Amino acid sequence: MIPLSWYLILAAGLFCLGLYGVLARKNAVAILMGIELMLNAVNINLVAFWRYQEPLDVAGQVFAIMVFAVSAAEVAVGLALVISLYRRRRSVVAENMDLLRW
Amino acid sequence: MDFIHDNILTLVLFSPAAVALVLLFLPAEEKGLLRWTAFTGSLVPLALTLVLWFGFDASAEGFQFEIQALWYDAIGSSYHLGVDGISLAMVLLTTLLVPLAILASYSIDDKIKAYMILFLLLETGMLGVFLSLDLLIFFVFYEIGLVPMYFLINLWGSEKGERKLWGGMTVPARTYASFKFMVYTMGASLGLLLAIQMIGAVTGTFDLIELYEVWQTSDASLEVFGLGAATVRSIAFWAFVVAFALKVPVWPFHTWLPDAHTEAPTAGSMILAGVLLKLGAYGFIRLVIPLYPAESQTFAYALAFLATMAIVFGAFAAYGQRDFKRLVAYSSVNHMGFVVLGIAAAALAQGTEHATIAMNGAVLQMFNHGLSAAGMFFLVGVIYDRTHTRDLEAYGGLFALVPVYGGILIFTSMASLGLPGLNGFVSEFLVVRGAWPVLTGFTALSMLGLLFTGAYILKGIKSTLHGPLNTHWVGHLTEINKRELFVIAPLMVLMLWLGIWPAWLLSVINGAVSALFG
Amino acid sequence: MQTETLIWLIPLPPLVAFTLIVLVTNKNRALSHTLGVGAAFLSWLGAIVVFARAIGEGFHHLGEAPFASAFNWLPLGDSFLQIGVRIDPLSAVTLFFVGWTVLMITLYSIGYQNFGAPKGDHDRPGLPPHGATVTDDHGHKHTVPSVEPNYSRFFAFLGLFAFGMYVLVVSDNLLTLFVGWEIMGLCSYLLIGFWYARESARAAAIKAFMTTRVGDVFMLLGLVYLYSEAGSLSYHVIFSPEVLERLAHDPAVGGLLGLTAAGLIGILLFIGTVGKSAQFPLHVWLPDAMEGPTPVSAMIHAATMVSAGVYMVIRIFPILSAGSDHGQMTAAMTVLAVIGAFTALFSATIALAQNDIKRVLAYSTISQLGFMIAALGIGAYVAAAFHLMTHAFFKALLFLGSGSVIHGMEHGVLHTGDHDVDPQDMRNMGGLRTRMPVTFWTFLIGGFALAGFPLVTAGFWSKDEILADAWAHQHYTVFITLAVAALLTAFYTMRQITMTFLGEPRTEAARHAHETPWTMTLPLAVLAVFAIVAGWIGIPNDFLGLDLGEINFFHGVAYTLLPSGIEPPGITFHIIPLLTSIGVAGLGLYLGWLVYRGYTAGASDPLQKALGPVYKVLQNKYYFDELYDFLFVRPAKWISETFVYLWLDRGLIDGILHTLARIAYWLGGIFRNRLEMPIISEGADRLGDGVRDFGWLLRKSQTGNVQGYLNIGLVLVVVIGVVVVLLLN
Repeated sequence: MIPLSWYLILAAGLFCLGLYGVLARKNAVAILMGIELMLNAVNINLVAFWRYQEPLDVAGQVFAIMVFAVSAAEVAVGLALVISLYRRRRSVVAENMDLLRW
Repeated sequence: MDFIHDNILTLVLFSPAAVALVLLFLPAEEKGLLRWTAFTGSLVPLALTLVLWFGFDASAEGFQFEIQALWYDAIGSSYHLGVDGISLAMVLLTTLLVPLAILASYSIDDKIKAYMILFLLLETGMLGVFLSLDLLIFFVFYEIGLVPMYFLINLWGSEKGERKLWGGMTVPARTYASFKFMVYTMGASLGLLLAIQMIGAVTGTFDLIELYEVWQTSDASLEVFGLGAATVRSIAFWAFVVAFALKVPVWPFHTWLPDAHTEAPTAGSMILAGVLLKLGAYGFIRLVIPLYPAESQTFAYALAFLATMAIVFGAFAAYGQRDFKRLVAYSSVNHMGFVVLGIAAAALAQGTEHATIAMNGAVLQMFNHGLSAAGMFFLVGVIYDRTHTRDLEAYGGLFALVPVYGGILIFTSMASLGLPGLNGFVSEFLVVRGAWPVLTGFTALSMLGLLFTGAYILKGIKSTLHGPLNTHWVGHLTEINKRELFVIAPLMVLMLWLGIWPAWLLSVINGAVSALFG
Repeated sequence: MQTETLIWLIPLPPLVAFTLIVLVTNKNRALSHTLGVGAAFLSWLGAIVVFARAIGEGFHHLGEAPFASAFNWLPLGDSFLQIGVRIDPLSAVTLFFVGWTVLMITLYSIGYQNFGAPKGDHDRPGLPPHGATVTDDHGHKHTVPSVEPNYSRFFAFLGLFAFGMYVLVVSDNLLTLFVGWEIMGLCSYLLIGFWYARESARAAAIKAFMTTRVGDVFMLLGLVYLYSEAGSLSYHVIFSPEVLERLAHDPAVGGLLGLTAAGLIGILLFIGTVGKSAQFPLHVWLPDAMEGPTPVSAMIHAATMVSAGVYMVIRIFPILSAGSDHGQMTAAMTVLAVIGAFTALFSATIALAQNDIKRVLAYSTISQLGFMIAALGIGAYVAAAFHLMTHAFFKALLFLGSGSVIHGMEHGVLHTGDHDVDPQDMRNMGGLRTRMPVTFWTFLIGGFALAGFPLVTAGFWSKDEILADAWAHQHYTVFITLAVAALLTAFYTMRQITMTFLGEPRTEAARHAHETPWTMTLPLAVLAVFAIVAGWIGIPNDFLGLDLGEINFFHGVAYTLLPSGIEPPGITFHIIPLLTSIGVAGLGLYLGWLVYRGYTAGASDPLQKALGPVYKVLQNKYYFDELYDFLFVRPAKWISETFVYLWLDRGLIDGILHTLARIAYWLGGIFRNRLEMPIISEGADRLGDGVRDFGWLLRKSQTGNVQGYLNIGLVLVVVIGVVVVLLLN
């Protein structure tokens, strides 16, 4: 059986990919996608820990499902915001979004 | 009925405050409603006072209708009310003048609600002083009266006029006057508060009736800061005297008075002269002499000197005025001087008939001055409302335009002058009679003041009513109206009645005075 | 009706009239004067009835048991101050002449104030009527006198005045006497200032009030002194032998001037009279009081107010003379004699040089009152009372007569339209004898009474009695002074009569003068009768050494003042004072006629040539007005306005207060500028500034760039993670 650490390494890699996307990409849609990657990395962790640590308990799966739901909602809201911004500024470049600047 | 009878003093005391509370819930823009509510409301204490008056037994000694309830047990202070002949006369004066003053303030159009509420609170404050038999309560009410009066002068006082201070600073006259009144009086009552607290600390009680008995004998515990009991008592005595002398006012503490009276609204002046000044004299009679008989006897000459100065200089200063209201204001200094002269004579001659006569005269003079000064201020207000000037030189020959007003002014002036047949004479005669055997020199000197009383009264009449008609006022000056007549008529009736048959009031006063000083 | 009840009621009708006129009928002239005259009539009736009953009792008996009733007025301690009424011989006599004169004066006023005349064209309240233009049946326009604008008010004041006088007379104590006294003072003020819109009237009214008030405050002191010594002010107590005895022996308070208590009280009370009866040095108000309408002058100068002063001195004569044995003068009496005699002579000299018809009479009044005071000073109180009564009649007559003259002259002035003619100036008159016969004859009687025309007139008998008394008690200085004064009196009286009535008219106005209506002449006639017969009741019993029996009924007044059982002392007849009286009167009258009979219009006064500069001094009344103005009025003004108000009150006392306020202000400034501002406030400000600056600094990090934040977050997470790991190990 594949040891747990493999899953964890996979998840960490995935998370790093997501993080890189969030921090480095200019396109707001890409940032959203990065967030999705990070969430899914977390999901992998959750499911992996459930399977290896407490297989009798469903808590891990429940958490994973909750994260799905939340990320779906988040993407919906995020994309709506991006579209709204695009309509106003004809741009989805994150660096230009400084409405909250001092 | 029993309830009213048992709690009559509480009812008298707080009914004005209750009316003020009612006013609080009336809409501010309903001016007529506010005025009439305040007026009819102020008749309630008057009615209650009449009940009190007819229930009062003039022949009985001591205080009547006493009420006592625990208030501040830890320091021995209680809510203790009671009346004797002296305070009853003052209560009657207060409850009588307040409705008239409220009626006189119908000409006020600005912030009526606040005005009326303050006025009624003022009444409660004044009544409290006359009714309380507990030093602490006394002091509380004594100070309560200041606050509404401050606002009455400051907010509704005359709008014209400025007063120059040092360094080219000018302030509106009413600000100056209200400030002077407030700070000066507060400053003086500081000593009073300390002295009262000392009495309380030494004897463990603030109850006047108890104090009358124990305060004189509590020598041993009086030695504070290594000073002897006599010294401490003298200091406390002077603290009392200064506080009350300022309120009376006795020369040379009187300069707040002309300013305050001149700037106050008409009704404010009426109450200020009619009642507030009496608080000081009442303090002398109720507290100073009974609590410090020995000291007041020792220092009676000093007090008589100040009183004589007030009489003489008050009359001179009144004669020197060009401002009608200020002239009347100074006349108060002059007249209240006689009250203090009577008090000084009574203090000096305690236990003799001279004391009784002088004190009778002093209390009666308080009442009489209340009537005539209120009347005079009102009449000045009547003419001021129409001409908007108080400058005597700006009038002239107005008798031809306003004969009814002129007649009333002459009548009231004569009462103020002390014309025999009107009220002022009886009391001045009694004061002079009581003071002559014991304070001969001062009494003789005060006659100079009496002479100049004539001079300034005639000056007032001369400049307003007599002389060539100042045609500027033809067509502008209207005759005194019905409401104003209704204000002055009761005062005139009382002035005449007291001049002809003073016994109805004097018999009540005499009982208390004989018991206290005879 | 019981006499006591009646006495209580006597003063009331005028008071009721006053009240009703003021409150109700002031718009209706006829009703007002009906009330005024009716009230005067009722009081007169009461006075006459009481007088008749007093006579019925007999003065001897009445002196011992006067009509009296009293009640408790003021409760004072355990006792009461009583007031009440009392009619004894003195007050009965006073009541008699007061009743008559008041009634006559009130009646006279109807005519004087032009009742029934049309309203004036330009008349204003407060000014004398200027006359009205009427058109008669033929279309001619005439200027006629117009009715007084304040007609009703005049009767109201007269009523109050009468009330004051009646109160004074019927009082049984000095307190209510003083009440009446002061009420009259007020009324004299109101009446002298009746034409208040005139500057001169306004000033005269104030002068009268203030001058008499000088006396009044002393009198008040006298009252309280007496009250505190005797314990009462009722006559029956203060004049009881025990009280008088005590007063005569106690030294005055403070041992003042070595006087006895009685002496000091007497002098204090007398100063009241000096003011009220216009004695030197408080005489200055009375001539100015001529500003009032003429009936007022009569009222003040004859019937009531000035008489009140003398009446009071007669009343208190027991106190004045307490301690004197056998006619010896006490200190107080000496004061009276000196002031009285001096005033009599002094004002007679002034009267010589006056041209205003009423002013002459005013000074003669002062002079005659001086006679009475001097008489009291030498102990001749019956003579003083006698002269008081006769003088009241003939002086009221003279004043009303002069008013009638003025009224007639005013008629002439209006008729001719020459308003420069002063209707009161005697130089503008002359020849009125034929134009105003009733006025002339009555004025002549009055004038002769004043001059003391021998044997017929009332004035002769009373003046003679004073002189006889002075002679009999060897007060020769007083005797001579009064005799000279009497000579001058006769002289200026005749001067007045000559200038006014005799000769030819000196102006057109005088030529057109008119006799006055019956309401004015009737009182003149009535008073003229009294100006003659009033003297007959005082003819000495042993006149010319004859035994006339008890003809001198007036002497009974003495029983007022005497303790019971003592007969009043009489004086034996002596020829020298009689001859003196006759001589001075005759000589004076003759000289007056001689000097002035040839007086023509525009000529200077014959006396002016004779007296030279002295005349000017006399004309200016010895410059007393100027002197008093300089000595008292101006300093009083200065003291009031500058010294007391500006210096003492505003300067010193307020100065101290302001200094205190300034110190407080300064202290506050110190606290503010040295502690509050630099340390507390500044420190707090700095703190705030620092926080703000720091915030400025920090906010630079708020770029609004999400990725920037996330980067920082990542770095921090890493750093914190490293730190935590390191720390944990």
